[in-house]
Amino acid sequence: MIQKKICMLGSFAVGKTSLVRRFVESIYSDAYHTTVGVKVDKKVVHHNGSEISLLLWDLYGEDEFQKMRWTYLRGTHGYLLVADGTRRNTLEKAFQLEQRVREEVGAIPFIFVINKADLIQDWQLDPAMESQLIARNWSILRSSAKTGENVDDAFSQLTRKMFP
Amino acid sequence: MADASTKRVPQDQPEDASANGAGSLEELRHLILAPEQEALERLHHRVVNPEARTEDVSSVVAEAIQLRREQGGSDALSEALAPTIETAVRESVRKDPTTLADALFPVMGPAIRRSILETLRSFLESFNQIMDQSLSVQGLKWRLEALRTGRTFTEVVLLHSLVFRVEQVFLIHKKTGLSLGHAVAPSVAMQDPSLVSGMLSAIQDFVRDSFNSAPGEGIERLNVGDLDVWVEAGPYAILACVIRGIAPRALRDTMAEVLENIHREYSAQLDRFTGDTAPFSAVNKELARCLEYKYKEGSKRKGYGYAWAAAGVLLLFVGGFFGWRWWQYRRWNNLVDTLRGQPGLVITSFGREHGRFSIRGLRDPLAPDPRQFVEKAGLDPAKAEFHWGAYYALDDAILQQRATQLLAPPHGVTLTVENGILRLAGQPSASWLKDLRARSLLVPGLSSVDFGRFAPEQMAFDQTKDDVQGVIIKFPVGTASLSAAERSSLRNLVPKLASLQNSAATLHQNLRLEVVGHSDATGAEGTNQSLSQRRADRVAWELLQLGFADSALHAKGVATAEPVRNEDTEENRQFNRSVTFVVKTSSSPQP
Repeated sequence: MIQKKICMLGSFAVGKTSLVRRFVESIYSDAYHTTVGVKVDKKVVHHNGSEISLLLWDLYGEDEFQKMRWTYLRGTHGYLLVADGTRRNTLEKAFQLEQRVREEVGAIPFIFVINKADLIQDWQLDPAMESQLIARNWSILRSSAKTGENVDDAFSQLTRKMFP
Repeated sequence: MADASTKRVPQDQPEDASANGAGSLEELRHLILAPEQEALERLHHRVVNPEARTEDVSSVVAEAIQLRREQGGSDALSEALAPTIETAVRESVRKDPTTLADALFPVMGPAIRRSILETLRSFLESFNQIMDQSLSVQGLKWRLEALRTGRTFTEVVLLHSLVFRVEQVFLIHKKTGLSLGHAVAPSVAMQDPSLVSGMLSAIQDFVRDSFNSAPGEGIERLNVGDLDVWVEAGPYAILACVIRGIAPRALRDTMAEVLENIHREYSAQLDRFTGDTAPFSAVNKELARCLEYKYKEGSKRKGYGYAWAAAGVLLLFVGGFFGWRWWQYRRWNNLVDTLRGQPGLVITSFGREHGRFSIRGLRDPLAPDPRQFVEKAGLDPAKAEFHWGAYYALDDAILQQRATQLLAPPHGVTLTVENGILRLAGQPSASWLKDLRARSLLVPGLSSVDFGRFAPEQMAFDQTKDDVQGVIIKFPVGTASLSAAERSSLRNLVPKLASLQNSAATLHQNLRLEVVGHSDATGAEGTNQSLSQRRADRVAWELLQLGFADSALHAKGVATAEPVRNEDTEENRQFNRSVTFVVKTSSSPQP
């Protein structure tokens, strides 16, 4: 059995938990986010004919009440960087988070997911931001936890990245 | 080295060496270098020749392996050897499975036995415990508690009778929080170990983070109600035991020892771990060492008393039930034996059917009612179920009843049957006897009728015989001459005698007609004798004349020896001056 630790990173209320909830069946209540700052869920995916257990550490998005605990990032094999397309500052926060991860645990596989694709008419993506994204050469997916768009895809792309 | 010498030597020689010098140089070179040259050649031979190389390696291969193992590279060695050993084992099994089976036999037997014993022991232990508790007053209380709390009874029993039990053991990779192994006690409800491992290490991190504890420090114990989680951390892995109840301190030592063992055995794998748990497949066995438990001493002893008492009562009930059933069965068996002895009943099978006793067989309509025997035996007739097929019995008793019923003998006549033959007794009327033989054929099972003296022939014979024996031929005083009237009587007698003769032949009897001459008591005895003889002879002669067969006739004079009447009157005396007839028969052999 192969297991991988995956973290969900992103600002407060970008929809990390909703993405995870779309993807897995969980045994713990969401209350853990506010108490311990993380909730662990599991999803079994298939990659190259073998089963892989993804242990999803859904980290609490930082807000004015609680800081993100970087200790939880220790030993992670990959992460999903999540931003909210309708809130420009969450994208900027994502850039900061990515940099911070690189400093903390080094360059590890990740997928950048811009969530809330169902509200694409409200997205605040200006050309400056778009060029910034292009310059970074990241794997980017547009997703919606509401419609399920690209949710499975985000996780399977990340899995592929972890097994080059 | 050889190269160096060959180069060095010419440098030492003067430039103007003569031919002679060259020869001696060669000689010198030979003298100096020969041993090295030979050694070189030997070495070359050993390197080039595979056989020699094999020989060289063979002498050190065992030591080399040992050395490698001591250096700590046993993993690489095992990995290198594993495929070869696997193939070799497979090949050996393919060639002859018995070799490997024989080799493994002494190991496998004890291993299997131990495993079975262990399983049985743990099963019996928990079974005993639960049996004890379920039969005691306390057990009832616990059952109520189980109902009240919604827990299973087993769970409640364990909660009360256990001092402690390690329910689950987790081995968690420290850095990633991923689950490396998991052991669980029997009948414990568990969550996904990888999720629990993740959350547990998250909580560890949370606590460590929140209270700024030093690296290496962390939660050692979590406590929720009667559930304890003991955590033992090593450099690479964390061991967590979920314990119900109060565990002894010694469990910590076991945990530390297990964790140390794991670190020693898997140090490299733990260090390199990136999510593949395959190298840790054997770790669960080591973890299972932590699955300790201890039952309360007192509850065990008390429980056994109840269990024994309950077992005794149960045994009594079961024994009583089977005893009663056996006794009932015996009574029914006796009934069947009685029924078997009854004429007109044939029992083919019997046994219990749906709580009733069923008897199957054949019954003659004239056989006694079997239900009366059930009542006589003191059994409940409602419990008996008879299935009879009708048939005609050939028992004499039944035949006798049947014959009596069908032949309706007149009053005073009784019928008996012996070996299927009907016999008559009493005074049957001639009219009833008339077609008895034909009617007897209608009685099933009757083989024949023995009419005896009631046979029509016999009766006719007897009648004629009586007639003949009633005839008295009288003579005048002192003579043996027949009067005309007496001669006519004799003529009348002849057809009767002929009929007697015929009847006797039919009845297979020999007929003997004694012609007995009498005289009255007057006159001398000698005279009377000759007179009576002459009278008899006279009648016999007369009968011969009339055509009666000679052989059957026997004339004899009895004088006054067998008087026909007492001579108290003259009339009676007349009767003694006579000839009478006695008809005798004797059986003649049947044709």
